[in-house]
Amino acid sequence: MADFVAVSGVDDLGEGEMLAFDVHGTEIAVANVEGEFYAFDDTCTHLGCSLAEGDLEETTVICACHGSEFDVRSGEVLQGPAREPVATYETRVEGGNLEVAG
Amino acid sequence: MTQTFVIVGAGLAGGGAATTLREEGFDGRVVLIGAEPRPPYERPPLSKEYLRGESPFEQALFRPPDFYGENDIETRFGVRLTRVDATEKVVDLDDEESVPYDALLVATGARNRRIPIPGLDLEGIYDLRTVADCDRIRAEISPGHKAVVVGMGFIGSEVAASLRQSGVEVTVVDRNTVPLRRVLGEEVGRVVEEIHRDHGTELIFEDRVAAFEGTGRVGRVTTQRGHRIECDFVVVGLGVEPVTDTLAGTGVEIDNGVLVDEHCRTSVEGIYAAGDIANHYHPVFRRHIRVEHWQNALKQGPAAGRNMLGKNEPYEEIPWFWSDQYEHNIQYAGYHTEWDELVVRGSTEEQNFVAFYRKNGLILATVAVNRRRDLRRSIPLIRDQVEIPASQLSDPDIDLRTLAGGASSR
Repeated sequence: MADFVAVSGVDDLGEGEMLAFDVHGTEIAVANVEGEFYAFDDTCTHLGCSLAEGDLEETTVICACHGSEFDVRSGEVLQGPAREPVATYETRVEGGNLEVAG
Repeated sequence: MTQTFVIVGAGLAGGGAATTLREEGFDGRVVLIGAEPRPPYERPPLSKEYLRGESPFEQALFRPPDFYGENDIETRFGVRLTRVDATEKVVDLDDEESVPYDALLVATGARNRRIPIPGLDLEGIYDLRTVADCDRIRAEISPGHKAVVVGMGFIGSEVAASLRQSGVEVTVVDRNTVPLRRVLGEEVGRVVEEIHRDHGTELIFEDRVAAFEGTGRVGRVTTQRGHRIECDFVVVGLGVEPVTDTLAGTGVEIDNGVLVDEHCRTSVEGIYAAGDIANHYHPVFRRHIRVEHWQNALKQGPAAGRNMLGKNEPYEEIPWFWSDQYEHNIQYAGYHTEWDELVVRGSTEEQNFVAFYRKNGLILATVAVNRRRDLRRSIPLIRDQVEIPASQLSDPDIDLRTLAGGASSR
């Protein structure tokens, strides 16, 4: 059973937005894609930039530093320079809170 | 009859083209020929992470070494092209092999410019293009060692930063007033200058190397204005020139590299060019541009590959590159050689801004220092080529995405 951690209110993350949270010492980004929440490692596997500081286009997160693109649903690389996928995490909404399985 | 597509140049453009031919289902022969004795790799780490010993070479490989064999791509690595016979449609290689082709992609890139300076042949003087060059420089890195970097374009600037970060004492000699002046201009160049000064790099501008001195090995650099700089090694970064000699006599038109149309086609049927060597007609800028950066090689190679298969797709990516120097992220998008107005959003003093290079009111290019999101969002504005009031561009409260004409940034 994954250990869910409340990271923010569900209304604090608007559609098309991303935020990064510290979950048990790991920076995890959460993206709101049309009301669905997707959580993934905030740290780009290329050179470590914060993905939440990049742009979200539909289900693609684009790292602002060097342009790597990842699918927020699977974490897979859609475009380099990154080679390795980012880890993804389960999310759920409980009592108005957004929770991430850390 | 089985067709043979030959790709000369096994850098990112050539490797990408070969890969694309297979991905697109081409079932003929694909022959990938490269002068370096290793499979295609990415060069950006060579002046940054790899130079500093922070990332292994394997991480720079475009595809794993086994990929080519597994995808039925014949490779000739460590072999140079000596001649193209466009009449007989055959390429001659320096290992005496000749390979006939039905279509040929020339992606042989560029070579470092060598300026005749006395003493250039001394040991301890390096330039940077290949991983082998980089390994030689790496072997010189040790805290307290003194280096002179000649030329402060992007490679010189990045190498100077990486050497400083590795504990080397660095002096830079550049003929301009500020770093990167030719590309970025005085105002932005001064920001880069400050960044380097903040990290303790000695900067000598408006000066040129008179001679490299030493017995057998370089020990001192003298400049035309009388500086004498003691050093343990030198890295020269004075730009590159496209390598077009092997195309002599083919009828392929050469002008600042190989002239190609928007489909990467040269003036000779069946011969294509992509990457650093290609002076490509860009539909957005409506002129030929030759781009020496990673993204261009990464995307133009595959575009050429598709056009070799008759896809008839114009290549119209907006050029883009990054240059990490110390902890600063610098990015540039578009293409400009001249401008009549520089619009700045953010603060050059605080080293956090995006600047728009405009001519006749249109944005030709943008550069950002530590303002990565705005840079990315400026790309559609370059693509749109519509006039946007300077007051909107410079207003940090206006999301650049709202100024684009509905075009996607990708």
